[in-house]
Amino acid sequence: MKISRLWAGFRSWLDERLGWGAVLGFLRQKKVPQTRHTMWAYTGSAILMFFIIQVVTGIILAFYYRPTLEEANASVARIMTDIPLGWAVRSIHSWSATFMIALVIVHLTSIWILKSYRRPREMTWMSGVLLLVCSLAFGFTGYLLPWDDLSLSATKVGTDIPRAIPVVGNFFTQLLRGGEDVSGDTLTRFFSFHICILPLALLAVLVIHIFLIQKLGMSLPLEAEIKKKKVREIPFWPNFIFREMILWLVLLGVLLSLAVFLPPGLGQAADLRAPAPEGIKPEWYFLFLFQTLKIFPAHVLFLSGETVAVLFILAGGLIFFFYPFLDNKPASAKGKVLTALAWLFIFYALALSIWSLLE
Amino acid sequence: MKLKASLFSRRQFLNGLLAGGLGSLAASLLYPLLKSAIPPYREPDEVRLPLADYKDLAPGQVKDFAWDIKPGFLKKKADGSLVAFVGVCTHLDCNVSYQAEQRKFFCACHEGWYDEEGRNIAGPPPAPLRRLTVVMEAEEIVIKKEAPA
Repeated sequence: MKISRLWAGFRSWLDERLGWGAVLGFLRQKKVPQTRHTMWAYTGSAILMFFIIQVVTGIILAFYYRPTLEEANASVARIMTDIPLGWAVRSIHSWSATFMIALVIVHLTSIWILKSYRRPREMTWMSGVLLLVCSLAFGFTGYLLPWDDLSLSATKVGTDIPRAIPVVGNFFTQLLRGGEDVSGDTLTRFFSFHICILPLALLAVLVIHIFLIQKLGMSLPLEAEIKKKKVREIPFWPNFIFREMILWLVLLGVLLSLAVFLPPGLGQAADLRAPAPEGIKPEWYFLFLFQTLKIFPAHVLFLSGETVAVLFILAGGLIFFFYPFLDNKPASAKGKVLTALAWLFIFYALALSIWSLLE
Repeated sequence: MKLKASLFSRRQFLNGLLAGGLGSLAASLLYPLLKSAIPPYREPDEVRLPLADYKDLAPGQVKDFAWDIKPGFLKKKADGSLVAFVGVCTHLDCNVSYQAEQRKFFCACHEGWYDEEGRNIAGPPPAPLRRLTVVMEAEEIVIKKEAPA
């Protein structure tokens, strides 16, 4: 009796200072539309769960990891063999990264196809594209840290790509590498990108992304919006949250099973002068870009094939970022053509990835 | 307040002055940050290899050496002179390997091929392998960073 009154007193004391009653009230009243597309709305919070797992396991790995040319590979070997459950922490970090990126791709593809980016949610989409870039950059920088021969070659290629951009490209390559060539400096700075710059950048954009989603609410399916249909809604708390939690638990179970039974390996420490190992491939989410670079001719007209390929990728990224403005009449014929093109792109990316895997 | 002959008001002028001043301050802080983010690049002027290590090379044979942190390849030509290549693919910077049985250089990253003269012959590489100058001295082979004449 007395304790509950104390607690209530403390809560009103806090509310007077923080004003969080308004936030809680908002969440208590928040509704989520329940349609046949609602399943895609569960992917966002699952990505967040994997991100939190990345933060926690990443902090533990950073306790032991040493980002120098001499010690990086050996320190990962120590995590895998000597630190209690270190192998499990690294395995979870590695698998959770894969799950996170996979879900980011599913999340984004569903929004792309369902056109949930349409007015007034353009900025939610744009912040989402920035989050995708951050996630891919996390994957790319993290891949180098074990410093084995595979990760070295992937980094040499990946950091050489900006060089093909006219005028500013060389500066970016040097900024990424910490010099003209991939060296120990590159490793140390990739660690700094991975654990300092990218987390700050991702969190900043994530705050905007989540704020916009709360402010604007979940989008309705296009056909429901046009026909002004009344859509069934369920309360965000507790109905929607509990459903989300079911998905989190299932995914957590799959993640832990995979992490325990299929921990990632560790190659020999990288030698800067060793030839690239045969049959090398980047992480699966870069395969279609990798295969594109491979089949691109050495010269296109007067430009090198590399420059053309990189300019294509850059242009594609920019179009993707501003996509909601391109698809400004989603219900019209133009909107349908753009959806068809989106499917075509998805098919291209899948086909090239599979081709690359089979090679 | 705006004078008749003036293009902008006093407030606009002061705002512009303040924004310009703060902008230049930000730029002058950003410049040293970016400057310090890239260390100086010093390629060695030359690398000296003991002649004894390479005197048994048969004509057509290739042996590697260390060009600073990059791989290098020395090839003995039919006339007995030596040619030096930097073993870095001109496509996207991967290290190449020499395939002795095919007498070609191969880049495994995107399957680029160079012939034994270092010419790009297949796959995505846009240019031949970089060549270095080889100078023979009494006890040493000196490899210099300039391209051979």
